[in-house]
Amino acid sequence: MQTFTAQPIPWPDSAAALRQKVRDLIASYPINPDPAKRANCWAVADPAFSKLLGDAGLIGMTWSREYGGHERSSLERYVVLEELLASGAPVGAHWIADRQTGGMLLNYGQEEEKRRWVPGMARGEVFACIGLSEPNSGSDLASVKTTAQKKGDRWVIDGQKVWTTGAHFSHVMIALVRTTPGSQRNEGLSQFVIPMDAPGVTIRPIIDLTGGHDFNEVFFDSVELEEHALVGTEGNGWRQVTAELSLERSGPERYLSSTALFLELLRHVGPTTDSNVRQLVGKLAAEMWTLRMMSATVAAKLASGEDPALEATIVKDLGNSFEQAMPALVQAAVDLDLAGEAPLARVLGHLLQVSPSFSLRGGTREILKGIIARGLGLR
Amino acid sequence: MNEQQTMLSDMTQALFAELGHQTSIAQAWPRIEELSLQDLLVHDDHGGFGGSWQDALIVFRTAGYHALAAPLIEGILAASVGTSHGFTGRGTIARAAEGSVTGGTFTGTIDGVIAGEGASFVVAPFAEGQSLIVTLPEQASRQAKTISGETRSQVTIKDGRAVQVAIDIFGLGAFARAAQIAGALDAALAISADYVNQRKQFGRTLAAFQAVQQSLATFACEAAAANCAASAAAEALDRGDGAFEVGAAKLRCNIAVGAGTAIAHQVHGAIGFTEEYGLHPLTRRLWAWRSEFGNDSYWADKIGDQVCARGADNFWPDLTAHTD
Repeated sequence: MQTFTAQPIPWPDSAAALRQKVRDLIASYPINPDPAKRANCWAVADPAFSKLLGDAGLIGMTWSREYGGHERSSLERYVVLEELLASGAPVGAHWIADRQTGGMLLNYGQEEEKRRWVPGMARGEVFACIGLSEPNSGSDLASVKTTAQKKGDRWVIDGQKVWTTGAHFSHVMIALVRTTPGSQRNEGLSQFVIPMDAPGVTIRPIIDLTGGHDFNEVFFDSVELEEHALVGTEGNGWRQVTAELSLERSGPERYLSSTALFLELLRHVGPTTDSNVRQLVGKLAAEMWTLRMMSATVAAKLASGEDPALEATIVKDLGNSFEQAMPALVQAAVDLDLAGEAPLARVLGHLLQVSPSFSLRGGTREILKGIIARGLGLR
Repeated sequence: MNEQQTMLSDMTQALFAELGHQTSIAQAWPRIEELSLQDLLVHDDHGGFGGSWQDALIVFRTAGYHALAAPLIEGILAASVGTSHGFTGRGTIARAAEGSVTGGTFTGTIDGVIAGEGASFVVAPFAEGQSLIVTLPEQASRQAKTISGETRSQVTIKDGRAVQVAIDIFGLGAFARAAQIAGALDAALAISADYVNQRKQFGRTLAAFQAVQQSLATFACEAAAANCAASAAAEALDRGDGAFEVGAAKLRCNIAVGAGTAIAHQVHGAIGFTEEYGLHPLTRRLWAWRSEFGNDSYWADKIGDQVCARGADNFWPDLTAHTD
């Protein structure tokens, strides 16, 4: 049995130059004085930074030039992503558009929609959100109730999405809705492109336990869309979403969310004689190295046209467990005043509070382990 | 895998499955020599295969998968160091050497010689990053058994022929154990998955219980991490510098042993605890290998010391510079 076939990773020749480009660009950008903003940085939105990346050709790197992309390889894109995340850059505004929405539109979208949205995404000016979860449809995604009904040459959307990250600054959503009335489970579902400023769309904030605003509720009240808003084939939504979730789960953001904490820990302790701390650093470094190799292996498999859905799920589960465990381990090893101003305390305090979400977003730990068990032939 | 590696994999799979976890050196070594497997890493100039560390990974991992009882891995590593210095016959490796080298001879003690009975020479860690190749005397001194039943000897040597080389056999031993752990974990996972698909309780297979599914999913993640770590360490060795990667891989594999062996035994229930059932040849070796060539705290301390000394600003650039 080999659930994860390891293989040498064909890092691109351009990797070192690309890293330098990203490092120079980040060094030129004013650093947010709050070190907590460098943790979990793919949830930190800064449209000005996204624009800077777009201008530098670092968004939509693999997309066709015809739609504003740069036709670089997916491993080149991977190198850029890990650099951005490791440095704690505020990439949240464009993250979803770059990771999945742009590619979804190019793969499945109709021509009008591709031309309308994708070039702006590549410029770092157009941001996207994901319309999957609903009030009674969390892990049980196939139970979505929001509907699209064909009325003449229009689609009319009614219903509600929830936990929609970044809906309040996004320009567009791709939503999974039911197009066949009365259809069951994953049958009769389709995806639509919905402009967030369309009449009938209402966005309400959900404030998280830190007082932060990432999530929203999004209501659709007879939202009228043109025919070409349908993404892909009517009724094929579930298959498309499964592929989309593979992309959503496979990236390096699934283990790098706590990197800022690790780096602040190194800054805080310096060359240390405390063997507890040294051993913790050694263990975390070994885990991070392993996860980087696993994550890059998945990227290499994707690049060579394989579908490493199981491997990606394994990496996400391990990565989430790692980035989630780190705050408590650092707290146990280093005596810190969490009310104090030490940068390590600031980052730690933030991550202790937000890290429970790491094993929820993009598929809960329990759902992921179920997928892995299926891969083992147990269900 | 290239074509040659696929052949190597097929050949070793078949041989190791046949030799299995109970073979003896007398029985196994002639079969190994027939294929010249012990010369896998010996340079072609000295009559070997000139294999890469990726090739070694295939053999070491497969040996782990079949819980191979013959000291082939040790023989391959010893030959890779000793052959070019004129040491012939079955070589092996050891945990540590203590003593002095003068005029091409060694006087002192070698500890933890692996399967030393009948071996011609041993390669042992000496100073930091250095190794000593020493001819073994006919009579081994004190023998002990590991928890998986394999011999480890302490050998006292007076004026034995010796060569000191700038090769880190301790690190190479750690890589070998990481690769074996990766293979043995995959094997234990496979028999665990098979078992829960057959065994029924409460009118359904154990595999139908969500708690069992989630346990084995956790096991699969750990086995995957061990395999990826061992593979990445082989890549680093082939690039010419694997000091960090080998330590990180051994540490990650050690960690995987804990969860993997615990879950394998838990889902097997009492049958996995018996002598007749085929789980213990894997799990007992996994527990033994976890201590050899650096336990968790050895590598965690060593890596942690280096990473702390390099500081926050160098960590990520160092990590990426190794692969770019």
